Amino acid sequence: MKINKRAKREAEQLFRLCLVNRGLDENRVRHVVQRVVAADRRDSPAILSHFWRLVKLDVARHTATIESVTVVPADVQAAIEAGLMRRYGPRVTTIFAYRPALIAGVRIQVGSDVYDGSVQARLTALQKSF
Amino acid sequence: MRPEGILATFGVDWSHLLAQVISFGIVCVILYWFAYRPVLVMLEARRQQIALGLANAEQITAELARTEAQRQEVMVQANAQANTLIDQARAAAARVREQQTQKAIAAAEQITISAREAAARDHDRMLAELKREVGRLVVEATAAVTGKILTSEDQRRLAEETARRVAA
Repeated sequence: MKINKRAKREAEQLFRLCLVNRGLDENRVRHVVQRVVAADRRDSPAILSHFWRLVKLDVARHTATIESVTVVPADVQAAIEAGLMRRYGPRVTTIFAYRPALIAGVRIQVGSDVYDGSVQARLTALQKSF
Repeated sequence: MRPEGILATFGVDWSHLLAQVISFGIVCVILYWFAYRPVLVMLEARRQQIALGLANAEQITAELARTEAQRQEVMVQANAQANTLIDQARAAAARVREQQTQKAIAAAEQITISAREAAARDHDRMLAELKREVGRLVVEATAAVTGKILTSEDQRRLAEETARRVAA
């Protein structure tokens, strides 16, 4: 879908309206989407598409995916969450996932930042060095 | 004795003598005019002819000598030119042979260098492939056994290490 500059500008304005204390308010997001759909403008799909992209990026920036092979001990989980909040702010939400391909260790992804302490990453680096 | 006596003794008759002298003179003139003079002319012509022949012979001899000298000179020059040409041909042949030899040596060296480079490239490629294969096997083997031999303490240590990286 082709999104023109005007639709992008309007989507960015709507996205800013959804920010409360530098955080995204889900209720406002729902309300904005309902209003845009109800308006039934010709560029509504384009506005919603760009608005969806901005929301998705914001959620990804404030969502930390913590992948591991085994259950991470509670104290280590707390340490990781504390470190993430200190680095990315208190709005960061953490999601723990099981990923046996890591072999061992923990892999954390926040937006485009990746902290990969898994054995798989080390083996991949080792294989690339050959 | 008186001259008249002597003439009388020898029987000289002046009239006869005079007539004989005149007739003798006439004969001498006739002989001179019709015999002696043509002979002299003929002898002079023969003499001139002989002199001309001798001169021609000398001239021919000189001409022959000059021609011989020129021939000898031409022969010497021809020999010299022939020797020069032979020397130049030998030098050119040696130069061409040297050039061909150098070209052959350069081509052989180039072939040797290319072969060495190709061998080195093959060696490097095979070495790299071997390293990659060894690395792959090492990684596969390590991946197969690591998850089994790591204890919970090891897992905890790895997680803590990542937590420290996030906190840093």
